[in-house]
Amino acid sequence: MRRSLPLAICLIMGIVMMVQFFVPHPISVGFYDLTTKWIRIVSAFALVLGVGSLILYHLDRLQRRRAGWVYSIVTLVALVVTAVIGLVWGVKPGSPLQEVIFKNMLVPLNASMFAILAFYMASAAYRAFRARTKEAALLLIAAFIVMLGMVPVGAAIWGKLPEVAEWILSVPNMAAKRAIVFGVALGAIATSLKVILGIERGWLGGGK
Amino acid sequence: MSFWERLLKIDRKIIFIVMAVLVLFPLLKPLGLGVNSGPRAKAVFDAVDAIPPGKTLLISVDFDPASMPELYPMLVALMRHAFARDVKVLLCGLWITGAGLADKAVTEIPPEYGKEYGKDVVYLGWKAGVDAVILGMGENIKNVFPVDYYGHPLDSLPMMQEVVRLRDIPFMVAISAGTPGFSDWLLYGQSRYGLRVGAGVTAVSAADAYPFLQSGQLTGLLAGMKGAAEYEVLVAKNGYSKAYMPAVAAMDSQSLAHLVILFLVVLGNVAFFATRMKRR
Repeated sequence: MRRSLPLAICLIMGIVMMVQFFVPHPISVGFYDLTTKWIRIVSAFALVLGVGSLILYHLDRLQRRRAGWVYSIVTLVALVVTAVIGLVWGVKPGSPLQEVIFKNMLVPLNASMFAILAFYMASAAYRAFRARTKEAALLLIAAFIVMLGMVPVGAAIWGKLPEVAEWILSVPNMAAKRAIVFGVALGAIATSLKVILGIERGWLGGGK
Repeated sequence: MSFWERLLKIDRKIIFIVMAVLVLFPLLKPLGLGVNSGPRAKAVFDAVDAIPPGKTLLISVDFDPASMPELYPMLVALMRHAFARDVKVLLCGLWITGAGLADKAVTEIPPEYGKEYGKDVVYLGWKAGVDAVILGMGENIKNVFPVDYYGHPLDSLPMMQEVVRLRDIPFMVAISAGTPGFSDWLLYGQSRYGLRVGAGVTAVSAADAYPFLQSGQLTGLLAGMKGAAEYEVLVAKNGYSKAYMPAVAAMDSQSLAHLVILFLVVLGNVAFFATRMKRR
């Protein structure tokens, strides 16, 4: 029963929602409206699960004194402090959560983390980006052209460089990306059908 | 140890210092390399330019402070363009960390053009459940956002009397730093409700948007800081704004940063192959 009921709900809802897409009748539209509300409510519960999972994971790291366990303390303290500030003073503009946590902590920390990427990229490119094979050389040349073509200095060096960079992005890059998108889409359709028909049951969990 | 071997083992702090100097220098003393607007940015500009005055541009703020230097100038330039043409702006977001950034833009930009909150601009905020949020907005925005980000009931905002669902919006721009982002707006907003979508993305994710450009699903694309700079230039050239252009100002720095990386890649390869030849 614990497995067959979710499987039955999945099968019925999967088929109903597929059919609903092609039926513009008011009952069908109303049902669709209702289910999107359910989805939003269920999505909110995912947040609770996420927070629970985060707490359990970091408590486990602390108990076992795994490498970097001090950072788990930082994570847990940050979680509790942010939650308390949000619950006590609210989340509206002007609240301590917005002014202190978001504007004065999250924004500069987040921006700094991303900004230092440029330095690590420069160092990593110097040490690791080698034309060891023909494929690597091709990648290197393409990267060279696109990197130069996407900044004004590229056009200053050679006026046609932005056009060449645009061609690389629009033709070979797009062909590869499109193949990936098709592959992912077909995979998603196949997986969805397997879930709806009860062939794929991993989402039910490992218990009996 | 030979010269090339020493070069390969150069202290990374030296690379960091060179990079820092070359990024900072143009910010203090601009090189004035100039920015030419490409067809992708022009397509977004034309789409916003074609919105009749009084109608609404939807902007989805789907990024966090990490991508702020690249994407926030797009948001500001789009809002300036819309307000200069008396186009109303509706904002929402699929990233919770973008909520404060949209609030900043809503607080700072409308007063430049004498625009009022609720009448010319509304910020809906963030809600959990990406696909359900977009699908819900397609049916009735008030069902998903009964109140705006600031707690005002949508029924009390004059602008929202005319904007009931996604079909009432002639064009939207999804400014995305990743997932969820423009692809979700295409998947749910466009395929189901016919919403015209343009995108603003980080430079690293621009390649992902190209298949949707050629298929015509994306009207146009602002790619990275260059895309933001191109849009700023278009807005300024057409007389919609005389404000400072942060993305244009940063393009010199980005040019030098790219040159440094390319120079280091070449240098690293020369040193690598010189060392390998010597060993043979």
